[in-house]
Amino acid sequence: MNRLATSLGRLSLQSPITVASGTFDSSYFEFFDPKILGAYTTKTITLHPKMGNKPPRVFETEAGLLNSIGLQNPGLDAFIAQDLPRLRDGLEIPLIVSFSGSSIAEFGEILEALEKEDGIAGYEINISCPNVEKEGIAFGADPDVVFSLASALAEKTKRELIFKLSPNVTDIAQIASAAQDGGASSLALINTLYGAAINWKTGRFFTSNPVCGYSGTGVKPVALALCYKTAQEVKIPIIALGGINTWQDALEFFYAGASAIALGTAFYSNPLAAEKLHAGLKKHLEENKITLPELIGTASLPQS
Amino acid sequence: MPKFSELSITNTRWLNDGYVEIAFKEPSLAALCKPGMFFELKAKTDAQERKLFKPISVSSVFEGQISFIIKVLGSGTQALANLETGETILALGPLGNSFPLVEGKNVLLVSGGVGWPPLGFLRTFLKEKNRVLHIHGGATATDIFPCDEFYTVDGSAGVKGLVTQNLVQILNEENIDIIYSCGPLPMIAAIQKVAGKIPHYASLEAYMACGVGACYGCAIPVGESYQRVCADGPVFNAAEIRWEEL
Repeated sequence: MNRLATSLGRLSLQSPITVASGTFDSSYFEFFDPKILGAYTTKTITLHPKMGNKPPRVFETEAGLLNSIGLQNPGLDAFIAQDLPRLRDGLEIPLIVSFSGSSIAEFGEILEALEKEDGIAGYEINISCPNVEKEGIAFGADPDVVFSLASALAEKTKRELIFKLSPNVTDIAQIASAAQDGGASSLALINTLYGAAINWKTGRFFTSNPVCGYSGTGVKPVALALCYKTAQEVKIPIIALGGINTWQDALEFFYAGASAIALGTAFYSNPLAAEKLHAGLKKHLEENKITLPELIGTASLPQS
Repeated sequence: MPKFSELSITNTRWLNDGYVEIAFKEPSLAALCKPGMFFELKAKTDAQERKLFKPISVSSVFEGQISFIIKVLGSGTQALANLETGETILALGPLGNSFPLVEGKNVLLVSGGVGWPPLGFLRTFLKEKNRVLHIHGGATATDIFPCDEFYTVDGSAGVKGLVTQNLVQILNEENIDIIYSCGPLPMIAAIQKVAGKIPHYASLEAYMACGVGACYGCAIPVGESYQRVCADGPVFNAAEIRWEEL
């Protein structure tokens, strides 16, 4: 029996391990078997090609990584023409396409184009980007906008519809509820926190974008708290991410209410992180004669 | 195809102050190494477990043994430098493209500081069938490695000044057909400024995260886009780099 099987809103996964959008590429399958993963999430694509930000774009901190890539991607048409066929034909696991837009209409246009393509199991809606209709404030910061966006997209698809939430908001659970009420079938959280690094010797930032996204080991307690808070508020499944490296880390997130997890920065310190996590989790569940769904959301308070 | 391996250090020795040479033996990987390629390396220690790998160019390959010259810059390179024979290194590679090879040419190699290793390796591939001149520069005497002419900023060894200062004269007098370079970006930019129509291939260094083309963290401005030093390089045609952006 497969004790690691889990489900999102509309999609069954053979493994609860997925990958954080933008951190992973099929080149990693040189090092481990794709079947270790329950699904493959692409780098975020946009309607038009994006050059990305000026270098330097990354910097390693005391406990985690800063990045400011700027969603560099070839755009929707090139993705459909080149990347999608390669992924669709090569992968034996569900493919989730991550995309982002600058207006609700643009998100809709991308989704409609992808709906015409076979071999896509779901979408990850990246809402950590500026909304041109609302003075450039990130989509993910306004619950009304998130509700409208989710409603607009939900009526166009029967595929898994994952809303990827930013932690850089006042109340992530409120945003999560808005996505759920609009029709999102699952959530992915957290996207990167704000982060920065300055060279004290020179007074210069290490990255050309002063404020970057912060991921990796250091963000794990934040991600765990926000996963728990959100799980208390919503019914739809959560894919948790943020600083997960090991099977023990993953277990914490399952107890907090996550149905699946994603690895990102972990691959950069260990290309076999997913494989190791899979083996450890499998052994743990077998030893305790329990299936993964049985322990999701069962975190309890310390004994008094 | 690159591999991810846990290997034993077979050789380690301190070179100049601040530089160490380490090596491991793995004939199947050694057979894949071409000049310009690099490995993502990390010492297998608890302190490094959640840290990034460091991109280090291959400096030589001999009888299945791959050697690297590492300059100690931070905790990651320090941990690599501290490795002793028999201890374990994590290696992802070989990665990246390689220098195009030529025959029957007057070749100029220009390196700066820790940019020496890939050109030292390249020289072994070029020396039989070309006339090769290797010039090298550094801040001070401890940054100097074997070459034909060397320069130091402080004048403590070789010619006082920058490795690029006599370049126009060298290009003309030696009738140079092709230039290969590796070193700090200002050095490579200075070479390109005077290279004119002479082909110039540069191996760039960049801060990297994944090393395998996934994260786009090491991108540099090339042509009309940003290209990844790890997967599209590290060797680029220097004429195609948008130097004004760097």
